[in-house]
Amino acid sequence: MPTPGWSPGRKVALVLALVAVAAAAVLGIVVVRAQVSAPEPTSAGRIDPLPSSSPSLPVGTGSAGADAGDAGPAAPAPLGPSRPTTISIPAIGVSTTVNPIGLAADGSLAVPQPGPHLNEAAWFTNSPSPGQPGPAIIEGHVDTDTGPSVFFRLGDIHPGDRVIVHRADGHVLTFHVDAVRDFLKATFPTRLVYGGRDLSEPSLRLITCSDFDASIHHHIGNEVVFAHLVHTADAS
Amino acid sequence: MHKVLRILVPLAAAAAPLALAAGPATADSGSSYQATLNPLNHQSGSGMLMLTLNGNTAKVTESWSGLAGQFNGAPFPHVQHIHIGGQGVCPTASADKNGDGVVSTTEGAPAYGPIGTTLSVTGDTSPAAGTDIKIAPSGTSTHYSRTITLDPKVVQSLKNDTAVVVVHGDDPTTLSKKAQGEKSDLVPSLPLAATSPALCGALHAMPAGGVSTGTGSTAGMEDSGLLLLAGGLLVAGTGTALFTVRRRSVKA
Ligand SMILES: [Cu+2]
Repeated sequence: MPTPGWSPGRKVALVLALVAVAAAAVLGIVVVRAQVSAPEPTSAGRIDPLPSSSPSLPVGTGSAGADAGDAGPAAPAPLGPSRPTTISIPAIGVSTTVNPIGLAADGSLAVPQPGPHLNEAAWFTNSPSPGQPGPAIIEGHVDTDTGPSVFFRLGDIHPGDRVIVHRADGHVLTFHVDAVRDFLKATFPTRLVYGGRDLSEPSLRLITCSDFDASIHHHIGNEVVFAHLVHTADAS
Repeated sequence: MHKVLRILVPLAAAAAPLALAAGPATADSGSSYQATLNPLNHQSGSGMLMLTLNGNTAKVTESWSGLAGQFNGAPFPHVQHIHIGGQGVCPTASADKNGDGVVSTTEGAPAYGPIGTTLSVTGDTSPAAGTDIKIAPSGTSTHYSRTITLDPKVVQSLKNDTAVVVVHGDDPTTLSKKAQGEKSDLVPSLPLAATSPALCGALHAMPAGGVSTGTGSTAGMEDSGLLLLAGGLLVAGTGTALFTVRRRSVKA
């Protein structure tokens, strides 16, 4: 029995409209909640691919010319070894201690474990010290069992942002972010991240997790920030 | 109804899982190793070496800077090797047995072992070319890239984590008076400074795979459930609407 005054066409429209409102409400909740989820990185900036890599990596926005301009006229001379003690990224409100870390038993990069250093950054001790030639590797969790962790907002970093690293020898280093990339762990470009095209340049890679896959309750991606040294100073 | 659909389509698109940005199409092939080259014997340089192994074939890329640039008015030759069969580490100052302030190549041998491969710029890469300064890189800095065949013992040493890169050739003016007057332990016609280690770095496998820097505690498991709910509502609602339309057309 159709309701008097309601044509079948209007009924269809009414159902669809109700569904749309309900779906929009749910999506609205998701959008609000997304503000407490880690921002996902968007590919940006330029990376020199390895000579042998084929096909070449995706090239995002940003240009080498602009980066070179920001970098100033002369790159600082490389420094000798000295471990990093703190890292700060003013653009995303990060300021934390850096602890040394090595390889895990399975050959992967170890990660900060539960305890006093869980939510601090870690420097991979087989990589160069920040300021030495080549890429220094500093990682941090995006989240831990207790919630957001030290690199929770790393997805909000952009080319041109500054990263400041203090070393045990008193040097204060400023790095310039060149590029941000999101890699699947399954096809992680090891040589590009831990090596790269130019081993002579003091550079920095920041690594955290990205791309949560709810079906397996794991992050299936790694965000990697590529930066190079633009300034060195003494703490004194 | 078309107006309603125009609202629904973008909503359905928004509910689709967010796509992952494209990574490289291929994973790395071969095993990759890295060495951070740190100065010893009062030298001031630094460097890095990356080695990619496929079978016995190694692609070596290396960069170092800050070493002694001149020797008797000519570019300073810096012989460099992959040492194998030692403890797989670089010597500390305590390896200086004769107290001249310099860890000679011989004094450092218990730490890094004998030469396995000579990282020459051209020609012979065997231990026999170890002190051939004519095919060694020279000057204050080097950008080295060469694909070479490794002896099986060197491959084994890489896999055992006992291979060590040593770059030789110290700035004589940075050494003690005693050391400046000494002869090389390797090539007696040369001074000690010419052949003593300047940079050293243990070769280690690069980290395997990705990095486990998250537990997912904040990553929206609940959000995914809500997205499924939104998607389900859309499917159910559209189905109901289509059913209504179909009933109408049957009646007509
Ligand atoms: Cu040697």
